[in-house]
Amino acid sequence: MKTWPDTLEHLSKPRPRVDGREKVTGRAEYAYDVLPQGWLYAVILRAPVAAGTVTGIDLKAGRRVPGVRAVVLSQPLPARVRFYGQELAAVAAETREACEDALRAMKVQVREEPFVVQELEAVHPHASRVFEEYGNISKAKESRQGDPEAAMEDSSTTVEGYYATAVNLHQPMETHGNTVRFNGEELLAWSSTQGVFGVRDGLAGAMGIPLSKARVITRYMGGGFGSKFPAGAEGRLAAELSKATGGRPVKLMLTRFDESLAVGNRPSCFARVKMGTDSNGRIKAYEMTGFGCAGYAGGGSSEGGSGGASFPANHLYPAENARIDQRSVTINAGSGRAFRAPGHPPGVFIQESLMDQMALALDMDPLEFRLRNDDSPIRRKEFELGAERIGWKETYRKPGSSPGVIKKGLGCAGSYWGVPGGDSNAEVQVNPDGSVVIRCGTQDIGTGTSTLVPLVAAEVLRIDPNLIKGEIGDTRFPYSGGSGGSRTAPSVAPAVFDACVNALEAVAGKSGMKDVRGEKWTEACGKLRYPIVAQGEWKKGPLSSRGAYGAQFVEVEVDTETGFIDLKRIVAVHDCGLVINPLTARSQVNGGIIMGIGGALYEDRIMDPVSGVVLNPNYETYKLPGMADIPEIDVVLLNFPERGVLGMGEPVHIPTSAAIANAVANALGVRVQTLPITPAKVLSALGQTGDDFYQRSLSDLQRALQRVNEVASLPQETLSEFVV
Amino acid sequence: MKPRKESIGARFTRRTFIKSLGATAVTSAASFAEVSASEMKAAREEMPLGPGAVPVTLRVNGKVLNLELEPRVTLTDALRYHAELTGTKTGCDRASCGACTVLLDGEPVYSCMKLAIDAQGSEITTIEGLARDGQLTALQESFVETDALQCGFCTSGFLLSATALLAANPAPSREDVKHGCSGNLCRCGSQPHIVHAVQQAAGVKKAPQVELIPMNREDLA
Amino acid sequence: MKAFSYSQAQSFEGAVERFHEASASRYLAGGVDLLGEMKDSLLEPDQLVNLKPIPESDSIETGDKAWTFGPNVTIARLEKHGALRERFRAMAEAARHVGSPQIRNMGTLGGNLAQHSRCWYYRHKDIECLKNGGARCYARQGDSRYHCLFTENPCISPSVSNLATALMALDGTIHVLTENGEEEWSVEDLYRDAWRNPMAHNSLAPADLIVRVVVPDVGRRSHYLQQSDRAEFDWALVSAAASARMEGGKLRDARLVVGCVAPGPYQLEEVNAMLEGKALTADLAESAAEKLLDKADPTPENAYKVPLAKTLARRCLMALVE
Repeated sequence: MKTWPDTLEHLSKPRPRVDGREKVTGRAEYAYDVLPQGWLYAVILRAPVAAGTVTGIDLKAGRRVPGVRAVVLSQPLPARVRFYGQELAAVAAETREACEDALRAMKVQVREEPFVVQELEAVHPHASRVFEEYGNISKAKESRQGDPEAAMEDSSTTVEGYYATAVNLHQPMETHGNTVRFNGEELLAWSSTQGVFGVRDGLAGAMGIPLSKARVITRYMGGGFGSKFPAGAEGRLAAELSKATGGRPVKLMLTRFDESLAVGNRPSCFARVKMGTDSNGRIKAYEMTGFGCAGYAGGGSSEGGSGGASFPANHLYPAENARIDQRSVTINAGSGRAFRAPGHPPGVFIQESLMDQMALALDMDPLEFRLRNDDSPIRRKEFELGAERIGWKETYRKPGSSPGVIKKGLGCAGSYWGVPGGDSNAEVQVNPDGSVVIRCGTQDIGTGTSTLVPLVAAEVLRIDPNLIKGEIGDTRFPYSGGSGGSRTAPSVAPAVFDACVNALEAVAGKSGMKDVRGEKWTEACGKLRYPIVAQGEWKKGPLSSRGAYGAQFVEVEVDTETGFIDLKRIVAVHDCGLVINPLTARSQVNGGIIMGIGGALYEDRIMDPVSGVVLNPNYETYKLPGMADIPEIDVVLLNFPERGVLGMGEPVHIPTSAAIANAVANALGVRVQTLPITPAKVLSALGQTGDDFYQRSLSDLQRALQRVNEVASLPQETLSEFVV
Repeated sequence: MKPRKESIGARFTRRTFIKSLGATAVTSAASFAEVSASEMKAAREEMPLGPGAVPVTLRVNGKVLNLELEPRVTLTDALRYHAELTGTKTGCDRASCGACTVLLDGEPVYSCMKLAIDAQGSEITTIEGLARDGQLTALQESFVETDALQCGFCTSGFLLSATALLAANPAPSREDVKHGCSGNLCRCGSQPHIVHAVQQAAGVKKAPQVELIPMNREDLA
Repeated sequence: MKAFSYSQAQSFEGAVERFHEASASRYLAGGVDLLGEMKDSLLEPDQLVNLKPIPESDSIETGDKAWTFGPNVTIARLEKHGALRERFRAMAEAARHVGSPQIRNMGTLGGNLAQHSRCWYYRHKDIECLKNGGARCYARQGDSRYHCLFTENPCISPSVSNLATALMALDGTIHVLTENGEEEWSVEDLYRDAWRNPMAHNSLAPADLIVRVVVPDVGRRSHYLQQSDRAEFDWALVSAAASARMEGGKLRDARLVVGCVAPGPYQLEEVNAMLEGKALTADLAESAAEKLLDKADPTPENAYKVPLAKTLARRCLMALVE
């Protein structure tokens, strides 16, 4: 058996999650919940300034607080501080209250230094340098294709625009953290992570023990969205505290305040873009100058933070002639970490806004303009289906032509995500009673992986899924990669498939029967003298592939007197190859869209230019979409079994903010060029507020892009090496 | 508004009188004719508790829990770390996300902003108290059936808000569900399925099927 | 939170006595605002005095001439009270927009009126702004998007109590037990100190106790509107409340108030006067709203509040005749 069966019995059918019962009864144990014997509470002491040098911390005062069992420094003093909230020390105590008393007691001596926390300031020569050795702008990453200058010259129509998106925070409901037991020799961590093996490697490395002596468990975790791959300072400090107490388990979970400072973000993006089309409305030329900002150190140093500040350009409906010039800009703020399709939502917002601008210049329906330029048959199909569903032909109006105070608008955007599956291994234990246990060292970050495992096995073995127990989330199980990149399903499903095929062979061999699937299974297993184990791994082949597409449509109403944007309806058409479980797949689509609503309308990590702090380190002023902000979402899934399994966590998030921005621009007849689109910006774009913050931000944006353009002529040594 | 005088210094009060009797002397103060038994009882009720740990009695899911807690311990922490009922979650500790929602006398509250000592005398219902003898409520079943959860961290809070909503409004519209659960955040994006789950459990509307369109290469040509 | 002792009050006078038995007491009602400030070390009381046991402190007395509310009436009760919605719609609507169901179940009328500034500089644990005894108002040079259009002092943090805005439009009074005994304050009185003193959130001293809120019933129609970034569970960017008696199709004793734009809810005598005796038309509503915002002095970040406040004021007035 080498490919998915033509007739599916268990896959592509809506199935409830196998861990649903545990979650709805409160029995599911997250890292936050694990309470091993003798556990201690722990908290982190953080830098109260955006830049400076910490010369002293009164650790003794912390240790004197009753109930405190250990205090450790995060790095030796004096310590350079490069962002507000940087880890300085950590405390473990018998109670949370004692921890907080200790934090209050440990006064920090810090020599404050000038800082820069706003991207559009950081690019200018007068701004403070985050690092003395070089300026805040990096070397460029350039790409050229064809002859963009000539093609632009030749174009019959050109449009130009400049756009920006804000820093967004992952804000998972369960904060980052671990409960770690480390006696100096053996380490056990219950981790809220997307990658048990990555955390194991990180902690073992930091503690100087062999990998064989470290184990990480993640049975349940409360969301990560890309920010929970590394062990982080938070993991390392928990291990050090545990060791300092002689091996007592230490629960170090971040506070919501901490989450906003130091465990990653989606970089902000700034770009000037230009597009040229020929007389047939086909795109022929594209130019982009831009930069992203991933905090200090270009996104590379938050103890495993990996998230450069680049964003894709010219990737949807690509022009043959293109010039793209991108840089990274540094500020005194927490480092970026990969965030659900890194770079793509801002990149698509920029590209798709420009597409609508060009459609307007060509006096063409924006959907028609896309179909004319979209060379992807799958995505074209999705655009057509979505357009029909939302009633595009009947409802679309030219920008700003909706009558009345409440203006209606329609917008759309496309998606592509091309990451394939990869390294994953699984083992199958077959019991003589026919029951089966599958072990795989992957993790379920909310996507339904723990349900995928028994369903895939049931499909291959052709037995009742209730006979199959899937066990995941433990480094004692066969290696599987971290859950990110939308790679989990296309990695794990083939590995489980392979292990089950090998199990069938093994059972056949031992039982002496030929085909042991389905109704023969129990009989064949009954012939086993003891449980047998078969291994399997992901292999490149027909079981999974790459390249998931999508198209999303949004209908809005905008109150032009208050600036309030009311989302009326969203239609999303997506593919992910063979749909393993349409019910959990629809949850994924909803999730990506709702996160996109946040990016489009509410989310913005705001730095204070006066004090250098994060101004909104909470759920109150860093605003996530609430129940009442979410419209009817109409999801259509295309099932393409012949393409094998594809992941979908990211493609479903990529186009949403672009589609919303286009719908708002269509409603108003003017475009808000920076995300998030707030009522304040709408009123400003409509000319009701004079020379306000938004108008100034657009001039600042232009000046910053101009400056970044000029910087190419500066002596090379003033540019930072941070990779875009 | 009248202008303010200087701040008033210590005054002789009923409490200072009681204090002056000494702790054990309180019970033998019947000889002081002008202090009635009910006044004594009232005075004792007004005695300050803490700041150290004091006995706190909580009625949780129909059971009595006898805990020793400092007054500053929140109800969330009392439940999670002192009673080891970890189904109630900490999401923000600032009354902004609803992960810590419990019912107090049937009404949803943020347990993170409730002192445990202040929750005495109320009937507290946590997620662990919904199912009876392993039998899930219709709402819990419906959450599982309609996939109204992903990572599950917000689920306890939503279930408690929705349980209270259905008790007050057995046939909620979509808007009712949104308004009733507006104090609960979800980052995974389960809100649409949560609306399905609540309306399905209420018998108002069955959750819609997922639209799955089979495709192959020929269909694209 | 820092450690504290905890006592229960059995009467208002008793509460004040309990208060004075420690050096840094605070009253505890709903606790949503207070505990938030304690968790961020903005307030560090050594004693909390729980007001909830005070008998009758959560009563609603409906009278022919006026309604009387105990300070511990929850916001949820105000939201759900059918007769209140008919008599004093502005109050019911203001209550409906407070926070979330959980917050409305915990929060009290007294607490909502007495709540402290939500300015993100004031609330930040690592910033000592003017309001918490520091040297400067950070919002003035920083991000003032949520801040005042009108002010008379260096602090530009606005009052954000929904109920205060509605009560001003209804001529509600707040009865406060102070060191001088019981005083009757207008809503304007309640916020007078916030206009004058950058360190004040309102005119209440820490030991003062709201003992009742009285709303006269003179046959007014009223309404309340607000606009936030999000549809629900979000602080208002701007709010508005309006009320008037209608006599023969003319407005009598009209009040037009905007909230979240000044240290207290904001109304002008001359605006209320220009509505007196007139038929309510769209033009009149627009002129009134314009005049109410005439002296607005916005910052670049909060300039949007001017057109927004005008719109909400105008729509709120028009709602009286819809």
